[in-house]
Amino acid sequence: RRISGKVTAKDNDSPIPGVSVKTTGKAIGVQTDAQGNFSIEVPEGVTSLEFTYIGYQKITLPISGQTVNAKLESTTSGLNEVVVVGYGTQTKKEFTGAAARISGTLVKDAPVQSFDQALSGRAAGVSIASPNGVLNNPPVIRIRGVNSISLSSYPLVVIDGIPVSTGNISTSTSVPNNPLSDIDPADIESIDVLKDAASTSIYGSRAAAGVLLITTKRGKEGKAKVVYDAWGSLTKAARLPKLLDATGYMKYKNEAVYNAKILGGNENNTSVAAELFFPDYNADGSLVNTNWYDYIYRTAYSQNHNISVSGGNKTTNYYLSANYSNQQGFVVDNEFKRKSLRFNVDHEVTKWLKFRAGGAYNTTFNQSQNTGSLPNSTFLLIGAARLATALAPNVSVYNADGSYNLSSTGTLGMGNNLVTNTLWNAKALFDLSSYTTENDRFQGNVGGTIKLPYHFELNTTYAMDRLRTENNTWLSSQLGSSGYSVGGSATNVSALRNNWDWASTLSFNNKYRKHHVTALFGYDVQKFETTTWGAYATVAADNFFTNYEGSYSTVAASGNGRSEKAFISYFSRVTYDFNNKYFLTANFRRDGNSALGVNSKFGNFGGVSAGWLVSEEGFYKRLNISHIVDNVKLRASWGRVGNGNVSNDYASQSLYSSSLYGSAATWYLSQAGNPDLAWETSKQTNLGLDLGLLNNRIQVEGTWFNNDVNGLILSAPQSASKGIPDNAILMNVGSMYNRGWELGLTASVIRKENFSWDASFNYTHIKNEVTALASGNSDIIGYTHTSSEASNVTRVGYSVGSLYGAKTDGVNPANGRRIFINKAGEKVQYSATVASGESNWTYLDGTTAAAISASDYYLLGNALPKWYGGLSNTFRYKNLDLGINITYAGGNYVMNGTKGTLRDQRFYNNYTDISKRWTTVGQVTDIPRLVYNDQISNGSSYPISANVEKGDFVRLQSLTLGYRVPSKVFGTSGITSARVYASGNNLLLLTGYTGTDPESSSNGNSNTTPGIEKNAVGQGRTFTVGINVGF
Amino acid sequence: CSEKDLLDTVPSTSISDANAFGSATRILGLVNGAYDAVKAASLYGGRYLLYCDVRGEEFINVTANSYTAYESWNNSYNSGSNDINNLWSQAYTAINDANIIIAGLATSTGVISDTLNAQYTAEARYIRALCYFSLVTVYATPYNADQGASKGLPLRLQAETNGDNNDLARSSVAEVYAQILADLDAAEANLPDSYSSDLLNTTRAHKSTAIALKTRVYLTMNNFAKVVEEAAKIVPQTTAPFSTTSYGVKHALQSDITTLFGTTYTTTESIFSMPMTSTDSYSGQSAIGYIYNANSEYYLNPSGILGNAQWGTNDKRRSLLRVASNLYYLKKYAKASPYVDYIPVIRYSEVLLNYAEAAAQTGDLTLAANLLKAVHARSDASYTFADADVATAAALVATIAVERRIELLGEGFRSGDLLRNLQTIPAKGSSSLQANAVEPSASNYIFPAPNNELTTNKLY
Repeated sequence: RRISGKVTAKDNDSPIPGVSVKTTGKAIGVQTDAQGNFSIEVPEGVTSLEFTYIGYQKITLPISGQTVNAKLESTTSGLNEVVVVGYGTQTKKEFTGAAARISGTLVKDAPVQSFDQALSGRAAGVSIASPNGVLNNPPVIRIRGVNSISLSSYPLVVIDGIPVSTGNISTSTSVPNNPLSDIDPADIESIDVLKDAASTSIYGSRAAAGVLLITTKRGKEGKAKVVYDAWGSLTKAARLPKLLDATGYMKYKNEAVYNAKILGGNENNTSVAAELFFPDYNADGSLVNTNWYDYIYRTAYSQNHNISVSGGNKTTNYYLSANYSNQQGFVVDNEFKRKSLRFNVDHEVTKWLKFRAGGAYNTTFNQSQNTGSLPNSTFLLIGAARLATALAPNVSVYNADGSYNLSSTGTLGMGNNLVTNTLWNAKALFDLSSYTTENDRFQGNVGGTIKLPYHFELNTTYAMDRLRTENNTWLSSQLGSSGYSVGGSATNVSALRNNWDWASTLSFNNKYRKHHVTALFGYDVQKFETTTWGAYATVAADNFFTNYEGSYSTVAASGNGRSEKAFISYFSRVTYDFNNKYFLTANFRRDGNSALGVNSKFGNFGGVSAGWLVSEEGFYKRLNISHIVDNVKLRASWGRVGNGNVSNDYASQSLYSSSLYGSAATWYLSQAGNPDLAWETSKQTNLGLDLGLLNNRIQVEGTWFNNDVNGLILSAPQSASKGIPDNAILMNVGSMYNRGWELGLTASVIRKENFSWDASFNYTHIKNEVTALASGNSDIIGYTHTSSEASNVTRVGYSVGSLYGAKTDGVNPANGRRIFINKAGEKVQYSATVASGESNWTYLDGTTAAAISASDYYLLGNALPKWYGGLSNTFRYKNLDLGINITYAGGNYVMNGTKGTLRDQRFYNNYTDISKRWTTVGQVTDIPRLVYNDQISNGSSYPISANVEKGDFVRLQSLTLGYRVPSKVFGTSGITSARVYASGNNLLLLTGYTGTDPESSSNGNSNTTPGIEKNAVGQGRTFTVGINVGF
Repeated sequence: CSEKDLLDTVPSTSISDANAFGSATRILGLVNGAYDAVKAASLYGGRYLLYCDVRGEEFINVTANSYTAYESWNNSYNSGSNDINNLWSQAYTAINDANIIIAGLATSTGVISDTLNAQYTAEARYIRALCYFSLVTVYATPYNADQGASKGLPLRLQAETNGDNNDLARSSVAEVYAQILADLDAAEANLPDSYSSDLLNTTRAHKSTAIALKTRVYLTMNNFAKVVEEAAKIVPQTTAPFSTTSYGVKHALQSDITTLFGTTYTTTESIFSMPMTSTDSYSGQSAIGYIYNANSEYYLNPSGILGNAQWGTNDKRRSLLRVASNLYYLKKYAKASPYVDYIPVIRYSEVLLNYAEAAAQTGDLTLAANLLKAVHARSDASYTFADADVATAAALVATIAVERRIELLGEGFRSGDLLRNLQTIPAKGSSSLQANAVEPSASNYIFPAPNNELTTNKLY
């Protein structure tokens, strides 16, 4: 008899071609056709059919009637799931370390620039926060916490075997450039996160912050599959503070002016003004009332298109894709564009020789105005976020004749106000400047595998990654541009990052009865060469010129640099398992790093891990509980990894650089080195328990970890009077630990024919504590942008980069002055204006007190979240799917420095809450009496504890509703599947934090200065519609 | 390639410390590098002058911007202020550069001649003295308050290139002055009489440079006899015209002061200046030309020296001002971007006024009056001093003080002159911004110690 049927994928109902359909116990088999249909002649006595296909779980179905339809479930869950580990793969069953796998499908439709931005809340132990809402800004990624003080805490990112550059490679503080956006997220098959030392130590010295292994898509045997994905989105700014309008602005500013007059003892002095702020009127007589948000923020539109073709036969597989992305940010002029092409090919030349190659070429383009949101730009007068809140609303953007409203020096004209403004007219500034950074990149690899006798295999891969970046800045010579005073300027800086890696491994894999042994020996050498050069041109011949290629009268070199760095590594891994119950893995790596001191270039790293599959034991199987908990595995690991990721390739050397003294050549000490600069080492212990319940429908992973980091490399502060460059030398001093536990839960809560609910939840609890620091445990002060903003402290006994600043105790109800607590614990009050002979700083009884300085600062709270995680749910009902991804974090404090700006008593506009300021004796409020030019009482000049707030939050990261178009609709069109969806990102933020976003970080990825939000743009809110079509 | 080739990387754009003293050119480069450290934006690249000028009563701030010395203007610096930290760091960077040269040349032999070795060491000691003097006059109690008994500065005299020696207690003000004078005496002994070009004579220290600085140092200590002794070396005459005749560079007043600012930066009047070129100059808030002139952030206080009768309307020095909307702005640094106006550190006219003041204080009223008049008449020959202004020593000292305010306006002298005389820093202000007076007893009479020292030097 002949049985026919159709094979489809369980998760999306798309037909699967090429599935092998066999009669159970017999050798008769066929394959499904392009529509997933099959027809098979079944002999008598056969009662069931087996369906097998790579990447899907094998399924056996009974034959009943003439038709058997099969739904295959992908193998992305369960014990046979493959885990990508360094230089190889293991099954989840064999794996004894700590890792998490994130499927590429979770990132491909996200409205992001780079895949790392889409990982929020997806894996236990992995914290991902967006420091600001500027496109293509690198997110802050922490795997099991901050694992260094001075070095990058960004995990090692390995793409198809080659470690790549991460961080921000832009040379401008205006426009960021995250090189990970060079990878089209849709090309990613999976992201494996290695978390514990036993897993990461195969990467030795480079893995102290964890490893992200990115595997790109490859072809699968079968007919060519064509996939087209596209989305379009709309983004708006979210949670902008409510500002005073023109009337309110004049009211409160003049109140401050009058208070200053009285407090200065000038009540009867007519030469001191009582009011400085006066209205301007439009031609029609109406009051000028400018909402600067309208000129700085916008509704942004983005689109992304992706097409891929993949397929193959028994010996050759291929994957080809193209991507076009054109995204806008919600700050005007913020753009991101990417064009990329990728190919991956695998070919089995003979039974013993395999060949593979892959490559991607892309261009990415980033453009942004200065937003003041990137590290080291917080206090720039051109920062858009500060301009948006601080510019006076009672003056116009344009003059009546249509020209920009400007002062004689090019700042915003102040109309009838009698004050001088130092801030720019945002509209003019933006029109007259541009900042771009553009990448041109090829990443490719070629490799082969030779099967040798006696179960040995030789693998070699050579990879190249050539990234050229051009950073261009243009500032017009016209009045209103920040380049006006230099006659206009243009800067081009070109950078070439040339990175190659050659890794070879010899591996052994054999099962002998119940013994399974694998071994791996390898050699990896990688070299990075970076060359940057550029020029800075000023004094434009004509304001016509908008780029460097125009005519300028002065040109000087800019941004020149040349450096190289190399890693040489020998490594080995041995695994052994007995009877599929007991698993052992040992890793060893010896690493050489050119950037470290001559006396300590090499370091030895390694780890061991063991697993016990308790549920395979006879005694366990006899327990009643084994019917519920069908999989129990205990894991333990210990390892030692290093960190030598110093950002400067010659960090250990004492160097002299050359410059000019007028026209004479100079040499000067430019870096004080340390020939003993050695690896940071972290010793990590990891204990885990994995459970599978109810036929593995519920999977639980619990892990306790302890990471002791020693020999922390620290930019150790030196006494300024020593005159050492930057007052710092890199040294190995200090130690700390990260300790905690993480829990991951995934559940197929409901699995019905027409309805399913899958949920996954993760939770991480982490405690960071610094246990020793340089020279007698002195504090390390972290600064935000300038040396006057001492905003963080790293102190023994506390977590890295705790908030730091002056301690305040509310507002004195008697006189409206801010009360500070000095180092002796005494209350000291401040008045920005006092009469001659009086002191600005007094004790509450009015006697003179010393001014509050950094020596009075207190540690104001931990800036690192103590707990974080995510919850994601996927619901399917017939053709509808609904995805909800929630992230949360907390236990930390955030310095809401922007509040200081919103209450700034210069000519800055304020937020509407300023109405709660102190006005009358006895009034209890937290906003001091308004005194014109007061920059201290509200935290403008330096951080104060009154602006420290709890950072706990729950965010509805994304909500997606999709509809799978029934396949019968497509008829003979060739379309095999189609899904349309709509989603929203950052739709809801539940938090007590009053600033824009508790995840903001004015200092980006810095370890020592987290938790500072100051004059930065927050996250946008994005609405997306998209389509996935398969052919 | 071999493992060693890969791992033993050396930079191609800088040299290692082992090679720094390797050739005559490099050693000369190190000397120029120390001068260049003095020329940094926060020091004599211009901003140090700005801080010292705007503290006094001559200027009114417009922008209330702490990045352009507002805190100096209204005496509100705190230990965290950028200016306070940057000035301190930069002066000590120059001091360490000098110490590196002194230490390196003490052991390096054979690369350069002994004469040159001694000369470079002398230049380094001059730089070190200039920096210590620049620091001790703003961060420490004035010498004249207690003859230098107060705590002064950490006196760093050895090259610092590694992580040791963070803690160093402050020496007394008197000890710091003693070191400054020891350095200047040693410098005078080994500096050349002159260099081969006007540019080098203006931008590198020669004998007269060290002597000229000593007149300033001794004046600050009220050691008038020594001022007279030193000044006489480079001002041997007792009547005009005054000029240096005993040394290589014939320092003299130029007939037109305006040529010094904007036309010829390397005349014999400019004893020591910071050179600027289009490839080595500052811009934006780092350039005082931008702050004073391009961005008009300070105008002249109508009730300051601007309104003083001694500064006549025909005085040539008024052409170093410009008027806009009835407000006067300084245009000694008037070049538009690139801001290539040289920054004056020592001018011959200052030496004459130092000499005049010391002569008046030591009873040589004729010489004092001659020196004063020479400076004044150069710019306003029609002006005659009233007898009452020059008749007594006290009157002369007061008149010379006014002359200094006119002659040296915008060159970084005003607050130093107030502090060395233990005078109150006067109040000043406009209708929108006011700065209170500061009594010598007030804590903000001097700059606060910077955080970058307080947090790292336990013995401070």
